[in-house]
Amino acid sequence: MRLLTREKMAGRRRQDKPTSGRRPTMRSRLRESLCAKLGSEARWVQRHVAHCPTCRRRLVASGKVDLALSVVKSQCQRLDLPMRANACAVRMLNHALREAAEARGLERTTAEPSLIERCGKYESVLTSVAACVAILFLTKTGLFSSLDRARAQGREVMKQYYSSQAGEDLASEIFEI
Amino acid sequence: MLDRAVTYDLLWDSAECRVVDESQRWIITAMQRYGHELVTLLWRILGNEQDVCDAYQTIFLRLAHHDGGQKPRRVRAYLFRTASNTAISVLRRRLAERKMLSGMQREARECEGHDASFDGRHLAESLRRHLAQLPEHLRNVVTLRDFGELSYREVARIMGISVGTARVYRCKAVQVLAEWMNEEGES
Repeated sequence: MRLLTREKMAGRRRQDKPTSGRRPTMRSRLRESLCAKLGSEARWVQRHVAHCPTCRRRLVASGKVDLALSVVKSQCQRLDLPMRANACAVRMLNHALREAAEARGLERTTAEPSLIERCGKYESVLTSVAACVAILFLTKTGLFSSLDRARAQGREVMKQYYSSQAGEDLASEIFEI
Repeated sequence: MLDRAVTYDLLWDSAECRVVDESQRWIITAMQRYGHELVTLLWRILGNEQDVCDAYQTIFLRLAHHDGGQKPRRVRAYLFRTASNTAISVLRRRLAERKMLSGMQREARECEGHDASFDGRHLAESLRRHLAQLPEHLRNVVTLRDFGELSYREVARIMGISVGTARVYRCKAVQVLAEWMNEEGES
């Protein structure tokens, strides 16, 4: 039995680059559908795994490899490691190259976290601000009032329907609660 | 007359040296452009700072002497391939050295009463050990894809295979690693 593990699905997601407007959506839908039907979280797979020791063993083993890969990736290097490595490599170059300004700069390079990593700590704040802005925008554009209006009109139509079908008393009893 | 000849000779040497330097400036550029990625890749494969520095130095030394100092057609591909191979060589050497000391380590572990619960470091070392034993084509895909975080397209281009083949190789590599790590766990 071959399963599409979450790691594989995530890997495929990372790999795919959008080439046109429609294709990524189609692909992602197809992927989600495949994952739901053939992935390790599909119900029939879980039922099978629960009763099949071989598959259980395989699933555990592949999970172990995924875990080991994640552990290796999560081990942080020291910030000055690129600088030290560059210094070692530059030392092997000839004198003129070694003395070049670029080479000097390389010896002072440190590992800098990416913009996303640097902004990571502000994630929750940014999310809250974005949510507030979205609510304000929706209020400004009148979407909420439109929704209220639509709901009130719907209610009115339903009340009229019940009045005509079941009588005025019953309709007012239902819709006045 | 002799003095003039010597002076011309020195001038020629100096000019030649400058030409070589200018023609090799691309090495510095490659170091600037791909250095971080390479260090990360090496760190993930080796997990040891000194080994990373040694391997990094070896990679650029090989690059500088590639084909008599000629710039490879695809520098990035060359660097990543060399990095993977160099790192695995270093890893194998280190494993061989450790094997010699394994008896002593085992005794020490027994004395300490080694805990069999989750140990990330142990798991990572186990992965590295088995990775070094994988066949070259499978190993390269795992190192480039998982440790180097390259896309399958890039991995395929570096290895000169199709994207589908790269996916199949990775899948196969994970299966083999899973089997080996499971056997180790059971034993």
